Amino acid sequence: RIMPVRWSRYSPSYLEPEVKKESYQKSFEELTEEEREEMELKAVRPIKAAPPTLSSSVFSDPMICKFTNMMMKSGNKVLARNLMSQTLEAIKRKQVEKYHKAPENEKETIECNPYVIFHQALNNCQPIIGISNITRGGKTYQVPVPLTDNRKRFLAMKWLITECRDNKHRRMLMPEKLSQELLLAFNNEGPVIRRKHVLHKMAEANRAYAHFRWW
Amino acid sequence: QLDRGCALHTAARDGLSSVSSQDGPAERPRAIFHTSESDPAKHTEQHEGRLYNIPLEEVKAVFPHGLPHRFQQQIQTFNEARVMVRKPALELLAYLKGSNLAHPAVRYLIYGERGTGKTMTLCHVVHYCSRQGWLVLHIPDAHLWVKNCKELLQSSYKKNRLDQPLQASVWLKNFKTSNERFLQEIKTQKKYMWGKRESTEEGRPLSEVVEQGLARVRSASDAVGVVLRELKLQSHRGSFRLLVAVDGVNALWGRTTLRKEDKSPVSPEELTLVHNLRKMVRNDWSGGAIVTTLSQTGSLFKPSSAYTPQELLGKEGFDALDPFVPIPVPNYSPREFESCYGYYLERRWLQHEKARSEDGKAELQFLSGSNPRQLDRLAGPL
Repeated sequence: RIMPVRWSRYSPSYLEPEVKKESYQKSFEELTEEEREEMELKAVRPIKAAPPTLSSSVFSDPMICKFTNMMMKSGNKVLARNLMSQTLEAIKRKQVEKYHKAPENEKETIECNPYVIFHQALNNCQPIIGISNITRGGKTYQVPVPLTDNRKRFLAMKWLITECRDNKHRRMLMPEKLSQELLLAFNNEGPVIRRKHVLHKMAEANRAYAHFRWW
Repeated sequence: QLDRGCALHTAARDGLSSVSSQDGPAERPRAIFHTSESDPAKHTEQHEGRLYNIPLEEVKAVFPHGLPHRFQQQIQTFNEARVMVRKPALELLAYLKGSNLAHPAVRYLIYGERGTGKTMTLCHVVHYCSRQGWLVLHIPDAHLWVKNCKELLQSSYKKNRLDQPLQASVWLKNFKTSNERFLQEIKTQKKYMWGKRESTEEGRPLSEVVEQGLARVRSASDAVGVVLRELKLQSHRGSFRLLVAVDGVNALWGRTTLRKEDKSPVSPEELTLVHNLRKMVRNDWSGGAIVTTLSQTGSLFKPSSAYTPQELLGKEGFDALDPFVPIPVPNYSPREFESCYGYYLERRWLQHEKARSEDGKAELQFLSGSNPRQLDRLAGPL
């Protein structure tokens, strides 16, 4: 028996649900030809059930959702989401406090938006080139390899989470540690950025084996 | 620039929420939802829905222990303490202004659903009274006295009672910071024995009793009892006006989670602090007022949907508090919601780009249901 693990149980005729409010507020005449055809198709075909993570809120962010899912342990999404919101609040608190205490001319340089800080920190942590193990003649070589966007994002988030879980004081809570790491990564400092640099150096050192890659 | 008001009390300047009113053109133009009226005595209907500022030195002096934790974090972050003036607080202030101090103390009970601003209303009233020069007896949360107590000592004064030295000493320390000048003026009327060797003579200032309680932690609960007794006996003379402000008064008549050494449960009467506080909340003294708040959040063995006085106080508590003036505290009205939302935007607390839009505002109002606590928690990560 084949269990659908990465496959979908839906047959191909099922369409994705439409969540954005704006698309339902347009009247019929404003739609272009393709959109009219799409609407007629949706009237006939069945639609998949909306997953619980899909939200029509203006405040939802796909990167934050992905990060929350990676932080989740044994399916406890409630806890992961609370930790994420506490982290964002902690970042915002620190920055807003700094903002209100700073003199007038420095106020513009301080970034208070936790989402901007989060995205910028993730961007700074993403490696450009990765390493893959290739076995030739019994020996395993570390070969430098280009990475896809998804893989880069995944590595950045994974490094952040493992760093926060391992190298912290016994009594320090996850939101506080995560907010510290994100602020350091935003300024291009900290252990995660160092790990990215170490990976780049390894790839540069193993340049000679680059021709082992066949893809 | 700001109205200094009563020059006597430097400590009790801060008020809870205050609404701001637009002053004359000489004022630097703050937004419509702020008010520069930082004296609660002058707050009127026109100030409703606006936020007033409490100078930070006053906060430290008047509220060493009264404010909710999240509000303290907010003061730390924004570098200022702004409280919103709301209708229940204005109602209470009007009653207090018109009260006759020769009559027995009137009891006011602030009740409402979870997170609607009962504690903040209480703090507003405490600020007003300390500005007016009253002696404020503020118990921040009576629930802290009936649960999570590490040390319970057998009371030396009465056989069946149990003392709580830690809680009593913490409270005495905070009481001292907020009411320094009164402690020098009020004198004891009886000789009190602390154990076999130490005693306080008649006619000594109350600050000696407080020092004794702080120095000898074992007798701290008895010191608290003495302070309460003295204040009650002397308040009718008129040299000072007494305000008893208790947050979470339903803890005094509920059950406790504490156990004696033989694992039998402790009922609240057996705790000295609770026993003395119950005597204080009775209306057999004159020369002041008693303002109390119900609280489900810290309460023990009560369902989370209970918010009315009958449910939370139980039969015993309701009969003990019986002739009281109930003051319900509702959720934010649309005007108050606008004011709070505008304040968060102005202080750079709502950082999400979409939070500034109409959609974001409508979503915040819907998700929080205009409940102040939910709005605060939702606006945190945004």
